[in-house]
Amino acid sequence: MSNASNSMRAPLLEVRGVTKRYFGLTAVDNLSYTVEAGSIVGLIGPNGSGKSTSIDCISGFQPVDGGDWFLDGQPLAGLAPHRIALAGMTRTFQTVRAYDELSLLENLCVASQESDGQGWWQALRRGAGVREAEAKAAARGRELLETVGLSAYADAPAAVLSYGQRKLLAIAASMMARPRLVVLDEPVAGVNPTMVRHIEKVIARLNGEGVTLVIVEHNVEFIMNLCQRVIVLESGQKIADGPPGLIRSDPRVLAAYLGQARAADLEKASA
Amino acid sequence: MDISFLIQLLLNGLVIGVIYALIAMGLSLIFGVLEIVNFAHGEFYMLGAVAAYFLTTNLSIGYWPTIALVTVGAAAVGYILYELLLSSLRGEGFERSILLTLGLSMVLQNGAVFLFTTTPKMMLSPLTYSNVIMGDVRMPVLRLFALGLGIAAFIALYLILYRTQVGKAMRGVSQNREAAMMVGIDPRAVSRLAVAIGIGLSGLAGAALAPIYAVHPLMGFSFVFKAFAIIIIGGLGNVSGAAIAAIALGVLESLIGGFLPTVMVDGLAFTAMILILLIRPQGLFGRGVRV
Amino acid sequence: MNNPLMSGRMRATLVVVGLVLLFAVPSFTRNEYVLALGVSFATFAVLSGGLNLVYGYAGLLSFAQVGFFGVGAYAAALLVTDANWPVWAGALAGAVLAALMGLGVGYSSLRLSRHAFAIVTLSFALLCMIVSRDWVSLTRGAMGIPGLAVPQFSFPGGLSWRLNKPADFYYLLLGLAVACQAVIYAVVTSRIGRALKAVKMNEPLAQSQGINPLRYKLMAVTLSAFMTGLMGGFFVFYLTIVDPSIFDFYYTETMLIMVILGGAGSFWGVLFSSAILTLLPDMLRFTTDLRMVLYGFILILAMLVFPGGIGGWFERRRIERWRKVPYGGRGTP
Repeated sequence: MSNASNSMRAPLLEVRGVTKRYFGLTAVDNLSYTVEAGSIVGLIGPNGSGKSTSIDCISGFQPVDGGDWFLDGQPLAGLAPHRIALAGMTRTFQTVRAYDELSLLENLCVASQESDGQGWWQALRRGAGVREAEAKAAARGRELLETVGLSAYADAPAAVLSYGQRKLLAIAASMMARPRLVVLDEPVAGVNPTMVRHIEKVIARLNGEGVTLVIVEHNVEFIMNLCQRVIVLESGQKIADGPPGLIRSDPRVLAAYLGQARAADLEKASA
Repeated sequence: MDISFLIQLLLNGLVIGVIYALIAMGLSLIFGVLEIVNFAHGEFYMLGAVAAYFLTTNLSIGYWPTIALVTVGAAAVGYILYELLLSSLRGEGFERSILLTLGLSMVLQNGAVFLFTTTPKMMLSPLTYSNVIMGDVRMPVLRLFALGLGIAAFIALYLILYRTQVGKAMRGVSQNREAAMMVGIDPRAVSRLAVAIGIGLSGLAGAALAPIYAVHPLMGFSFVFKAFAIIIIGGLGNVSGAAIAAIALGVLESLIGGFLPTVMVDGLAFTAMILILLIRPQGLFGRGVRV
Repeated sequence: MNNPLMSGRMRATLVVVGLVLLFAVPSFTRNEYVLALGVSFATFAVLSGGLNLVYGYAGLLSFAQVGFFGVGAYAAALLVTDANWPVWAGALAGAVLAALMGLGVGYSSLRLSRHAFAIVTLSFALLCMIVSRDWVSLTRGAMGIPGLAVPQFSFPGGLSWRLNKPADFYYLLLGLAVACQAVIYAVVTSRIGRALKAVKMNEPLAQSQGINPLRYKLMAVTLSAFMTGLMGGFFVFYLTIVDPSIFDFYYTETMLIMVILGGAGSFWGVLFSSAILTLLPDMLRFTTDLRMVLYGFILILAMLVFPGGIGGWFERRRIERWRKVPYGGRGTP
């Protein structure tokens, strides 16, 4: 894919003025940003800044009080979560979700079964079409398990996985249906440093295969290492948007994380 | 149209509505505080009536002492019920609570059928045939007592919920469990009291109605489903909503029963519930919790 | 699903042998009591299988099943008695009516909370009973419709089958039960069943993967309503009378116990427990009341101690076995 006309091409994801209010509190305030195809964009901000809420909104899990968002030009506002997934945008969850009683491979096969064009009648008849689709899904599932490093557990029930391994499974599952955009909600929260590095490598590799990613995280270093662009939220509003280097020294970002006085100190120190 | 006929119907409806309200408020309180739909609720109403029958007929205890004993006894049973069965549920997996209380209702109901057979028993009291007569309106004294008891119970419940610490705690847990726990309210103590009050109200209703209608093991069964419908109409978890809906239902049933063939009466509660769910799912008076 | 107890081949053999034995029973005995037990088993197998589909697989605690059962029964009885429909057509119409009601009840109440859903389905069943008792002009009221006609099926080629012996009903209802179970089995072992279970296990996750929960839940409710109504439509001719008691809460309580004991979501567990619970109480000569008291205790015990039932126990064992196997190897994080 040619990158020459990158700047002229429309962004893959366009979020426009999304607003979400809870009992008088504005959790997401007129949020707008774009995501270029093939990039990795980080979404950071202090606790309560509205990062996860904004993700819930654009993935259809929370109704919004205003705004639109578009995936490759297709409007997604008001669509049910499963429709948004079928449109090409999948996500993971902060509370790591998996089908505990199913094996890892089954977990992954479920993740792509609605997108392979086989309907209920074919499923009941167990005809050639469905069997082929299942075989393809199983093959892709094994591939993804290899990528994330869980091949040894392919037939084990998901219940036996550790917390970090569940996060890897969730990432793999989000890729199964060949989405165009994947939103990862805190993929390395609560995970040991070795696993953090492993997940970083996995994400980079998946991005190399062409998936666009938006990553919500608290681990700022993780985001700075991985993302080409970082968006910073505070109290529901976007306060910064740019490459990691710029964000790192942006005074507003420092103020949001560290408080006004400390930020002023840092500014003086780097002057 | 005969005005006294109308007044008679209204009064009858009021009595029945107040009884409905006692049962529905208890159910609503238990749901609000514990998030449990108590399927066995009707059985405690039945047990209250059976106990009242036993105390009056076999032990010759007077009307008022019987009422007091049964109410306190029911509250104690509620306390034990919570400690024994409900406390371990703690809101996880709501199906478990429904099925557990369903199991309890099966044990109590069929146990009662086994022990007492389904023959209805009439509870006789020296007041059974006394009436208060105002013009053309005749009101049996026992019904008036039931009405009075119900109103007294309302007032007592109101005072507890709005004037005591623990009552406020109950309302708090009802509206927002997490927030209530964060400010240090002990959900166990509050839950225990809610169940005791709820079951106590049921028992009171049973004892109050025992001399008016026949006592038999299946009497709770027919009431409890109406109580479910009532708490949905009033708003799940909303105690005052349940009371208002209950009284309205009682009066409506009485009025409709007086003018139209009785076929329409029994289905009224459920039809109203379905309408409410279609038009305003959170109930007439809503609550914090979404239906 | 992997069954740790036996291989697929062994299970298939057992099923075939079991079926052959079951169908051979009337050749060995004309004892009406035994045949009645068989009819009871067939009926409850479908009732509990349908409830298992809705509760065990779709995760919906629905009390409406008995309503669909009775609707099918009444529809068939009325069409045959008043409109002279053949029995198979009446039963089929009953099934369709039940399915439509299932669709209606499901569509309007699946958006509500699970508490409200349980209460609404309960009220639906109750309303059915009230209507059957009070709408006398339609349903003949509390007396019901006695003396239903003896079914007679005519096949192309001149063959006809008149069901005037208990053994006939045994074959018919057992055959129906086998067909229904086969359909349920086909659904739950397909990817449809897998998606259904996914919705039950973790609905938001399923939604994020493109699965539409409402569609699957409605399918489960409608399908089970159809089968339950179909069974009711034929069963009522075995009873030769339809009256409001077809909506008795007793059916609901019994099928619930069967599903809970067998393990909600376990196909074979529920089938097994419905067999046990049909045969055992009669063998123990319990009166209905005591049986219900016992069921109540079992239900309470189950909810406190073993909510997963027999099937759940096997499932937990399967997971525990995986935990015990040590893992390691290249690339394992």
